[in-house]
Amino acid sequence: MERIKRLLKEAGISDYIVYGYSERTAELFFVKKQLDTRRIKDVEKFNVTVYRTGEKDGKKLRASTDVTVLAEMTDAELLDAFKGAYFAAQFAMNPYYELPDPVTAPLREATGKLAEQAPELSAGEMAKALFAADCEEGAFLNSAEVFVIQKRAHVVSSRGADVSWVEAEVKGEYVVQAKEPEDVEMYRDFAYTELNTDALTAQAKEALMFVRDRARAQKILKSGNYDVILTDENVMMTLWFYGDRSAAHMIYPGYSSWKVGDDVQGETRGERITLTLRALAPYSKEGIPMRDLRLLENGVMCATHGSNRFCRYLGVEPTGDYRKYSCDNPGTMSFAEMKKRPCLWAVTFSGFEMDAFSGHFGGEIRLAYLIENGRMTPVTGGSINGSILEAQKDLVFSTDRYAEIGYDGPYAMLLKNIPVAGTDAEES
Amino acid sequence: MFERLDTVKPALKKLIAVLCERYDYASVLATAERYRSWRVSKNGINLSASGLDGGDGYVIRVFDRTGCAEYSINAFSEDMIPAIVREMQERFEAERAALPEGITPMPTAMPDDSPAVLKKEAKYEIDPMELGDEAILDLIRRIREKGLKAENVMDIMCGVNYSAERKIFLSPHRDLDESHMWTNAFVGAIGARGEEIKESYKGYSVLGGAELLKTVESDIGEITKRLNDLLGSEPMIPGEYECVCNPEVTGMIVHEAFGHGVEMDMFVKDRAQAKQFIGDYVASPLVTMHDGSTVDECATWAFDDEGTLTGDTVIIDRGVLKTGMCDALSAMRLGVKPTGNGRRESYERKAYTRMTNTYFEGGDATKEEMIASIKYGFLLEEPTSGMEDPKNWGIQCMVNSAREIRDGKLTGRIFSPIVLTGYVPDLLKSVSMMGGKVELAGGGYCGKGYKEWVKVSDGGAYMKARIRLG
Repeated sequence: MERIKRLLKEAGISDYIVYGYSERTAELFFVKKQLDTRRIKDVEKFNVTVYRTGEKDGKKLRASTDVTVLAEMTDAELLDAFKGAYFAAQFAMNPYYELPDPVTAPLREATGKLAEQAPELSAGEMAKALFAADCEEGAFLNSAEVFVIQKRAHVVSSRGADVSWVEAEVKGEYVVQAKEPEDVEMYRDFAYTELNTDALTAQAKEALMFVRDRARAQKILKSGNYDVILTDENVMMTLWFYGDRSAAHMIYPGYSSWKVGDDVQGETRGERITLTLRALAPYSKEGIPMRDLRLLENGVMCATHGSNRFCRYLGVEPTGDYRKYSCDNPGTMSFAEMKKRPCLWAVTFSGFEMDAFSGHFGGEIRLAYLIENGRMTPVTGGSINGSILEAQKDLVFSTDRYAEIGYDGPYAMLLKNIPVAGTDAEES
Repeated sequence: MFERLDTVKPALKKLIAVLCERYDYASVLATAERYRSWRVSKNGINLSASGLDGGDGYVIRVFDRTGCAEYSINAFSEDMIPAIVREMQERFEAERAALPEGITPMPTAMPDDSPAVLKKEAKYEIDPMELGDEAILDLIRRIREKGLKAENVMDIMCGVNYSAERKIFLSPHRDLDESHMWTNAFVGAIGARGEEIKESYKGYSVLGGAELLKTVESDIGEITKRLNDLLGSEPMIPGEYECVCNPEVTGMIVHEAFGHGVEMDMFVKDRAQAKQFIGDYVASPLVTMHDGSTVDECATWAFDDEGTLTGDTVIIDRGVLKTGMCDALSAMRLGVKPTGNGRRESYERKAYTRMTNTYFEGGDATKEEMIASIKYGFLLEEPTSGMEDPKNWGIQCMVNSAREIRDGKLTGRIFSPIVLTGYVPDLLKSVSMMGGKVELAGGGYCGKGYKEWVKVSDGGAYMKARIRLG
């Protein structure tokens, strides 16, 4: 880092931010109960953003270019990269903004087994947790991937920022399969900041149960409008619409008209949404201290969030970019109660989409439960194509909770009167 | 290009020699990349030289008694060899020792290491870096300003990005060296209908350089017109319809609906239905599908990331499924020849079976003949996303617009957004007309599941089929 700072100075660059990080990983890949491949990784990179100022028609301007450099580059190569980026920046002038306020702090270490023990051991423990679930009748783990990442990050800036921290994460994905009566599979992923072996075993057990149901699911879904239950990660993706629409980079160009104080949920018959953005790391890649931030309170927008530049443009305190949020609604109905009413519980999709621009959400259904007269029938096929702008008028959250690396909140969400294309559509 | 690789190459060969004293097989893939993107929109002007994750680095592959093991690094010199070898030995053993009880190594033969030497340079007319940042930014600013004059346009997003790469693959008997350049551009028009934002876009791609930009400026009028069409669109009425797919939508069907299903690492896992259909009719006789490097597009490489030479793989021949595409590890496990489809997102990632340039051959019909043949149906345009389902051959593709066809004519009504669903062979067997002009588009990246992004292209011609829309 000191060499980079010295060479930036030598290149005549007075404004910069350097985000440097090193990653050490252990990775395991399985096919059924066989080891496919094992991998390890050691990399170090420096993302250097160089800034310059200009002026046009009496207005001060700011430009930037970012370039990634490596420790193995020679001084001459680094100088060349910095000078090239600085030269290019003159053609990319934007309205002026200040760089983030400087913060200095000692290294923030991460604690816990995941951060402290060798990543190879953690990868093995998570693999054991996953395969511990693989003892059910009628369904099994088809394949799995486990990644343990230990990361050390360091941000310095020309304004004097100097912060560093350690992060650890375990993530991965797996496919569960059932062969009878239909041969089907389902995909799940996971990510934790702790060595959460119990959560992974529980998630895999649930996935094995779902895939067994998918194997006997019928293509009987009729087209029409349904009350739809979304659960776990599909709730997370749907509610992130509010995170997208309140982001400074969406508001500044006018892609979102939302502003603090707006009742973004509008007139409602159901629950009013309360969301909080959660800091996963102590600092952003720009060195901005990350703090928990209330985003929505009872459907009213409380904050705008985002990187330094767009927050500065909007005249709000830069918050850094968030990767996690919580939905703080305690819920008004247990999930068990929710499932007693006629509805469609859409469990998994081939690819669930939430379009922040249009507000449309949905996808092709891999497994859903059609709930009628107290009976739950597994169904497959068909697709959901709803609009959150309509659905938000009448929402119900479950009192049951769900947590993963990017979300903490209700496990289930009931949305009313959602358009569903059934498997009967082909006959029309 | 990327002289650094020439400097380290002798030391990489020494590393392989040292590793081969301990392991049954060793190879190294070394990569170097120069990337740049230019963007203009209401968010301002953005210029980045950072690229995606990855960039310059090395992946070392060895085979021991437990099977295939890899080490990714981005610093290397000859004096680091002892430390690298020690690190690999200790940490691979630690990974093996920590495995759950009952997990056994997957039986895998040694990779084919028959002698091969190759040196290939990138082909391009204009290096974007020589054209310069100023000229590229001037061009996209000009396009944006022109587009902003159209009615109901809230913003025009316009961008160019390019990547120049060099890869060297070394093993005891292989020395493969290739440099490569692709350039992409896109223009997107954005407008609002109340709280709902609509976007129409067009993408451009070339295996080459800034010569691509000559064609970009002329389309802005068409893009803003399509945006206005979308702003007046109606929600789709679900049903199965006669459809005409434009070449981009055909490409998405080729790639998402069928291509992923014939990636043969999925055969190893018993995750692809296609495995049971080799030799069977899976499509109309009008359908012949290829994947490979005999066309010039963004994914054209002479060798893959495992050192397998590439070529042309005929996946479907006049409706009959002939073979899948295969990476080297999967090929050894299946006892077939690899097809040069072992690709990595970067040196930091595992290689999987991945598509390259994937397309349907053309036929002899015209778009006009297809539309004229439809009593009631839709012309599908602007694919936005798709998701594979190799196990069940289910389709999930999204397109931006469906233009209504009634009694052989476009009515002017437009529906949006559209979800395509159904069973892949049903759709492919329903193909009743295939257009003559094949167009490939390489503006996007392809994921494996939800990660592992690699540059691909896909395409075909206008195609008529029955498709379930929602």
